[in-house]
Amino acid sequence: MLKVEKLVAGYGKVEVLHELSLSVPEGKLVTLIGSNGAGKTTTLRALSGMIRPQSGRILLRDADITGLASHEIARRGMAHSPEGRRVFPALSVADNLLLGAFTRLTGTRGRGRGRGDVQRDLGRMFDIFPRLAERREQLAGTLSGGEQQMLAMARALMLSPEVLLLDEPSMGLAPKLVEEVFATIARLKAQRITMLLVEQFAAAALDVADFGYVLENGRLTASGEAATLKNDPAVRAAYLGQAH
Amino acid sequence: MQILAQLIVSGIAVGMIYGVIAFGYQLTFATSKTLNFGQGEALMLGSLVGLTVVAFTGYWLMLPVVLAFGLLQGAVVERLGVRQAIKTKSESGWIMATIALGIIFKNLAENIWGRDAMKFPSPLPEAPLSFAGVNVLPMEIVIVIGAIGMMLLVELFNRRSIFGKAVVATANDREAAGLMGINTSLVITFSYALSSMTAAFAGVLVAPVTLTGASMGSALGLKAFAVAIIGGLSSGFGVVVGGLILGITETLTGYYLSTGYKDVPGLVLLLLVLSFKPSGLFGRASIKKV
Ligand SMILES: Nc1ncnc2c1ncn2[C@@H]1O[C@H](COP(=O)(O)OP(=O)(O)OP(=O)(O)O)[C@@H](O)[C@H]1O
Ligand SMILES: [Mg+2]
Repeated sequence: MLKVEKLVAGYGKVEVLHELSLSVPEGKLVTLIGSNGAGKTTTLRALSGMIRPQSGRILLRDADITGLASHEIARRGMAHSPEGRRVFPALSVADNLLLGAFTRLTGTRGRGRGRGDVQRDLGRMFDIFPRLAERREQLAGTLSGGEQQMLAMARALMLSPEVLLLDEPSMGLAPKLVEEVFATIARLKAQRITMLLVEQFAAAALDVADFGYVLENGRLTASGEAATLKNDPAVRAAYLGQAH
Repeated sequence: MQILAQLIVSGIAVGMIYGVIAFGYQLTFATSKTLNFGQGEALMLGSLVGLTVVAFTGYWLMLPVVLAFGLLQGAVVERLGVRQAIKTKSESGWIMATIALGIIFKNLAENIWGRDAMKFPSPLPEAPLSFAGVNVLPMEIVIVIGAIGMMLLVELFNRRSIFGKAVVATANDREAAGLMGINTSLVITFSYALSSMTAAFAGVLVAPVTLTGASMGSALGLKAFAVAIIGGLSSGFGVVVGGLILGITETLTGYYLSTGYKDVPGLVLLLLVLSFKPSGLFGRASIKKV
């Protein structure tokens, strides 16, 4: 579904990712773990066009999307729930969700699922995230951090994505909410939504994922079946021994 | 007392015009943190194009033509003067470019329509109506209704339509808006188009009660800029209040001092704004997100 070949990306002259290659098969949940500053967010930003890759190739369903603007990539079915949530503070919860479906509502979505039934999906989001249903007319800027996180995920899902990129959906949440977020991710996985999940909670991420990649200083240092990675002594020592 | 009431009423119409122009400044500032300093020229061009068209169509049918012209003119300003500056994150490129384009438009207008002020035919009777001894021109009432109507329509568009929501989303967080599939460069072009459209509309609203001509825009644009800074660049109807205060102050100055000084309050206001908020004009200090 999503294939990345020798991706080089960074900020200005600073190269953060050095020839990164990975792939996310259709219907699978792949997780990308690594310590702070490893380049996880940079990877997702390059994939969704928020930054322009310096070289390498990104293929979405075999179509080359390297170097496209972020709105063009979204129109090809990539949804990105970015680091720091980035909900639209001056808009209501419902409007944030509708904007998630912008490509479908405006008919700008290339191939794949078209306009579809946005209202039905809106209802589904409110089923998955009942907290959002109670606050549908509230301004997103006045939601709690946890609620904003749910909104960011739901907004990305409203694109009806081919691939969903999730950047630390558990960041800054209380333990009970973290559990809830992972339960939601498991549910999405059961619906065979293709996902690339970036997480600090490496153990929990590997528990729910099919495959995993370990990123260190912009290079992959390990990869494999999530269960195998979880038992890898080196990975255990570096990422699973600590509190997070 | 009656004179005071008369002066206030006369100040309202021109105040609404300042409000509409300032509203136009807000539109582009919201999406791109840039302004069209040729906004006064957009008004002037709208008015002169209107003057040419009105001879063929009459006043009311001329309006859609002028609105369409304003949209186009604003899009041209964005493409030529602003886009590159935004792309390179240039702090001042757009200031120079929009001022330069404004001067070009003014020269162009002088060559096409000449330098003299011209009378703009009024669609309504030019005899004032009298309310308890206070005279009001029918056209002044149209100005107030038209100005408020235009602002409400834009606001309604932003709130109700998915494209308007995309504009607000771009204003909130441009990068995140891109992730929704919104072409944010196009949204910025559109906000420039809309901004010039409101100015062009203001131009044909005000022309029947003032005069029209190539030089009508410069002072209006500058004074409305002061109004926009005071009323708030980020959003809201503070610009209407600011516009009314300035409009009324001007008619008072014109009557009690001399009509020769009627531009002075607005320009003094501008100088005050510049000296008290020199760094905060476009910076974080003047825009607070929710
Ligand atoms: N906007 C930016 N400009 C310059 N350098 C940046 C920028 N954003 C990130 N970097 C640098 O790129 C490197 C990778 O950052 P990135 O945000 O991708 O890490 P991360 O793996 O997501 O870390 P975290 O777990 O803390 O979110 C870091 O060294 C960081 O300092
Ligand atoms: Mg990160």
